[in-house]
Amino acid sequence: MTRPANLLSLMALILVLGLAACTNTTVNEHRETGTNINLGGAEKIVILGRRHAGHYETEPDFISCIGDRLATNKAVHVVEEQTFVDSLYPWFEPRTAPLQLPRLKNMLADPLLVNRIHSLGVRYMIWVDGNTETTESSGSVSCAVAPGAGGCFGFATWDKASNYEAVIWDVHDFSDKGRVRVDAEGSSYLLAIGAPIPFIARVQGEACEGIGNQLRTFFDPAANSVEVKSP
Amino acid sequence: MKKNLKNSGCVVMLMLILLSGCATNVQVKGEFPTPLSVPLPVHAGLVLDEKFRTHVYSNEENRKLTFAIGEAQSAMYRTLVAGMFTRMTELDSRPATPATDITLVPSVEEIQVARPFETSLKVFEVWLKYNISVYDSKGEPIADWIMTAYGKTPTRFLTSDEDALNQAAIVALRDAGARLVIEFARVPEISQWLQAHSARQATAHTVDPAVVAGISR
Repeated sequence: MTRPANLLSLMALILVLGLAACTNTTVNEHRETGTNINLGGAEKIVILGRRHAGHYETEPDFISCIGDRLATNKAVHVVEEQTFVDSLYPWFEPRTAPLQLPRLKNMLADPLLVNRIHSLGVRYMIWVDGNTETTESSGSVSCAVAPGAGGCFGFATWDKASNYEAVIWDVHDFSDKGRVRVDAEGSSYLLAIGAPIPFIARVQGEACEGIGNQLRTFFDPAANSVEVKSP
Repeated sequence: MKKNLKNSGCVVMLMLILLSGCATNVQVKGEFPTPLSVPLPVHAGLVLDEKFRTHVYSNEENRKLTFAIGEAQSAMYRTLVAGMFTRMTELDSRPATPATDITLVPSVEEIQVARPFETSLKVFEVWLKYNISVYDSKGEPIADWIMTAYGKTPTRFLTSDEDALNQAAIVALRDAGARLVIEFARVPEISQWLQAHSARQATAHTVDPAVVAGISR
């Protein structure tokens, strides 16, 4: 095979892998009412991750990512997760956090807790449960270094899946305002011919965008329902 | 001869460096929030002895691990106990005749640390088991409360084993703090003592004005 043909086939391979390193995201939404939530001037939202399961934890950076997306709407003020959890310590620790609304209602019968939540200005709690994990991986890349030279050779691929569900709780009337579920999956590749060339699928990032955009529509009367489907 | 000694010294040094590279040394560091609870109307003494303040867990099996938790656990108890009672006095050792209503003496019963290579799970885990001995104002034992706590961190959250173990230890210490705040007054012997103490306080308060009136007459 000639040199240009070699180069062409390599470029074609990179293009195919680049296209393949995509993420498919599906967002499902359920609303308790047809109208959006109107936040009062001083009312805030807190986004909290579930951490009670034995084998996984909802990632703190995923919670921050959703918060950042919600905060793009100037009318939405998000209280940082750690600030909220520390202010109400020890009532929102993995062992003590309410899993159901009736338990939250019982907890907030204590004036100490309800006053602290009011002082933080929190009206809505968004609980996010789920995680991102590597579902499959194969291949290998080997690297070697010698005096004056070095490089990597090989091919590796791995699949990731993100599954999250967010539930919105109103802490004033202890009602469930709605829920959003996002499922995202994608394959990443690492091709090494001398230098490693990664093709990383943004699985968690896409899941964050999907769930964040959809949650934003709950608090933004002007926003339309967002249908997320990427490559 | 001198050259040989020098060479062997270098080899030993290199081996030590390589061996220390395999060990995981964690100095647990973290801050603990003041608990959101109504303080019990009790003057509590908290005994944090040197053994407790400098406690180091070590595991020589498999990959060596040293886990210095003394400083962090002392900070946790200090903050939590100060928030649980109206008044708290820290002590280095248990006094024979306490000047406090109640004295808490926490000690480490057991620590377990599990790393992913040991469990095949993608989490670092820390279990803590404390014995909190509680004494009354005469130094008489009220209760020995065995309290366990658990913390974990998924491997992908942090960049190094040290950071992950530190994080798991902080989660475990916060869990211990949560149990301390919520369950302390529910331990049967302690609950009984608290009821008797508040009854004594109430009696003292009702008696005091009469005594004062008697003196003034």
